[in-house]
Amino acid sequence: MTATIDLQKTHAAESSGGGFLRRLNFGTGIIFGVIGALLGYFLPHHFFDNQGSAYADQCTVISAVGWVVGFWFGIGALAGPFKWFLGWDQTHADEMYLAGKNQGKKRYWKYCTDHKVVGVQYLVLAMVLLGAGGILAMLIRTDLISPGTHFVNQQVYNSFLSLHGMLMIISLIIAVAGPWGNFVMPIQCGARDMAFPRLNALSLWTVVAAAVPLLTTLFIGGIQDGWTTYAPISIQTGIGMNTFAIAIITFVISTTVAGVNTVCTIMTMRTTGMSLDRLPIFTWASLIGGALGLYAMPFFATAMTMTILDRSAGTSFFSADSGGTGWLWENMFWLMGHPEVYVILIPAVGALLEIATVFSRKPLFSYKTAIGGMAGIAGLSILVWAHHMFTTGWAPQLGGPFMLTTELISIPTGIIFLVAVGTIWRGNLWMKTPLIWLMGFIANFIIGGVTGIYLSDIPVDNTMHGTMFVVAHFHYVFVGSVLFGAIGAVYFWFPKISGRFLDEKLGRISFWLAFIGVQVTFLAMFVSGLRGMPRRYASYQPIFEHTNVISTIGAYIIMAGMLVSLANIILSWRSGEPSGPNPWQSKTLEWLVPTPVPLENFEVLPVIESDPYTYGEKEGAHA
Amino acid sequence: MANNNSQKFSLKSFLAIWAILTAIGIWISIKGTPWLMMKSASHQMHTAILTVIVFSVAAAPVAAGIYAVQIYALAKWRYKGEGVPPDAEPLRNNVKAVSAWIGVSALLTTFLLIWGLAALASDENVSGPRPMTVNVTGQQWLWSFQYPIAQTLLHHNVESNVLEIPLNNQANFNITSVDVTHGFWVPSLGVKVDANPGAITTLSVIPNKLGVYDIRCVELCGLNHSAMITKAYVVTEKQFLTWLKAQPASQPVATATVKN
Repeated sequence: MTATIDLQKTHAAESSGGGFLRRLNFGTGIIFGVIGALLGYFLPHHFFDNQGSAYADQCTVISAVGWVVGFWFGIGALAGPFKWFLGWDQTHADEMYLAGKNQGKKRYWKYCTDHKVVGVQYLVLAMVLLGAGGILAMLIRTDLISPGTHFVNQQVYNSFLSLHGMLMIISLIIAVAGPWGNFVMPIQCGARDMAFPRLNALSLWTVVAAAVPLLTTLFIGGIQDGWTTYAPISIQTGIGMNTFAIAIITFVISTTVAGVNTVCTIMTMRTTGMSLDRLPIFTWASLIGGALGLYAMPFFATAMTMTILDRSAGTSFFSADSGGTGWLWENMFWLMGHPEVYVILIPAVGALLEIATVFSRKPLFSYKTAIGGMAGIAGLSILVWAHHMFTTGWAPQLGGPFMLTTELISIPTGIIFLVAVGTIWRGNLWMKTPLIWLMGFIANFIIGGVTGIYLSDIPVDNTMHGTMFVVAHFHYVFVGSVLFGAIGAVYFWFPKISGRFLDEKLGRISFWLAFIGVQVTFLAMFVSGLRGMPRRYASYQPIFEHTNVISTIGAYIIMAGMLVSLANIILSWRSGEPSGPNPWQSKTLEWLVPTPVPLENFEVLPVIESDPYTYGEKEGAHA
Repeated sequence: MANNNSQKFSLKSFLAIWAILTAIGIWISIKGTPWLMMKSASHQMHTAILTVIVFSVAAAPVAAGIYAVQIYALAKWRYKGEGVPPDAEPLRNNVKAVSAWIGVSALLTTFLLIWGLAALASDENVSGPRPMTVNVTGQQWLWSFQYPIAQTLLHHNVESNVLEIPLNNQANFNITSVDVTHGFWVPSLGVKVDANPGAITTLSVIPNKLGVYDIRCVELCGLNHSAMITKAYVVTEKQFLTWLKAQPASQPVATATVKN
């Protein structure tokens, strides 16, 4: 693909480009997915003994796999490999069709390779999943408004709890890296698209393919083992575990594909002069987060494969009766689970640091230290997994070393604070909503970070592990910090995707509701934990009632805040105030291209002469 | 071009905000923690409470410093004009500040680690009078406790669904599960370990306060996880022996194993 396309000549070819892909969209994806699922459910009759104890498991596993493959086929994900297999080349017209040229809004429902379309698709998908997880959160909190179980029984409660956890993890993994890692990052590099545009579309639609079996879990009996799905209860629980496991494996395929794509784009697609020490900090964060995801997420797919085999093929990875152990699962899970926290956090930090420079009108403070901090977090995060296992009885002799690695992480995390605070220091603070969300992030992340230090200490963890204290701690990190970062990023980059501002007043109302709600909900939850309330309790003893009522009230305040921002996004997308191409007078490349950003982004690729943080140093951008 | 836009900074007022916030933080750490946490009935729980206080006190100046910058910035460095603010004076780096920051956080981390290792060592070094073994078994969704000491004293097994242990004596727990993973936790004793099927985990504790305490399951174990709660009675030695004798023999024991 080159920038010099003779539009006149190719016009005729375009109308015929795309071949049978023209007939495929989200709707056909669902139709073929359902056909795949039905085939997967009924075909096993011919292969398996339907009297066997694992028959239902085998059928649901194959059915879920059938859904994923059918959906890939129906959306058009398999068209490329299929053509190459037959030796057919993609014509230029095919490529243009795939990139969604001249297709208007229809392209958002299709397998589209334009990174900006994928970014917007990710944004909507992340909001949908966040909404689903949020509804479950509200149901959980409502059920906990007083001791005893209420409108849901324990089985349903456990399912809500497990699905809430997994939906939120997935939606936060894609909440920043999805929309902005796709829409913004390639433009920040000075690239015309991602390194592998088709893989980009694949990663997006694979999350959709994963979301369906994940939500299906709720309707086929749910699961009883939490999002951590510890073995052996994951072997014992109902058939919902099979769709859950296939959903995870599918999602890991997506993050792996996206991680490869992100790393390759940043390493190979940068424009002239965009050396690694001139790269915008959000792009650095995408690189580090993407690389870390490549290391971490495959553990999850492997471990889930073992779970499926234990359940439906009679193996014994995790079954103590025949030589397995649940500790194997716990290790595999946390080898993924702790780096994953930073796969979620680091892109949000990158976005917030961009916001810090733009809205303080100052260069990023200590750029290289910031990169070192993020890289240090990523590096250490792969060495800390067993701090989740201090009280499992597995290898107590390793407690000291894991306490060391865990506490070391506070040093690079401290660097992130230093960079944020140093950037704001004596700046001309432009009090717009993105900066306000950044301030909220800093305030909340302090609490999330300090409470993490208590938990890294084994004598304290012996008391706190498995209690609501832990829940409050990671919600300060995920809601108070990452979600604030993700929403701040939306308020920051929304003008670029829509050409319109989000409403400032609604943004402030949303912020204050969310900020106050987080303090009310999770400070009270810390107290529940300190007083001894274990997590994942469907009903609790009366001594915990006060703090739980407060947490429930706080959760409703957070919900109100989220709904205000949701309304803001919907209303402003239609009729917000027009923003122009660079409303924040930022110097990174995404703001220097027109809005809406044209296909392939740049008419002429820019040549870079400095980093993009020359506020107060020279006029204009770094190009 | 931007030299006129450097924001003022008064060290005095910043230090005042910082000092006030630090003082509040330290006050909450020292006064609030013991009030918020469970009451201690063992050395381990005592260590946990003390550690939270010490770590909070150590964290207070750091957190207060960040909050102080935020408050100061929001109060003094807001741009009040219309439109895009002019660029501020650039501050690319400050090697001294960065080194000092990293140095201080490294020192704090070293302190946390040394404290943690020392506290861990003192927690694990349990040696008290008349150690008694209790075998703990978790199953969906109840706890059961076997007292091998009954074999010696009474020549029969004693199994109970509540835990009864004598004050100031060392209790050694061997913990396992017959189905899925459970988490054995006596909150006021500050000890916790998972009950894993196919493995035995151990805990030792010396309860130092009479009372009735909850035992709660802390690993999600299915349907009635939140009802897997029982009681731990810390009683005098005399009361314990009376209680033990009053328990029915749970299983007939082959005499051969009882006689040496």
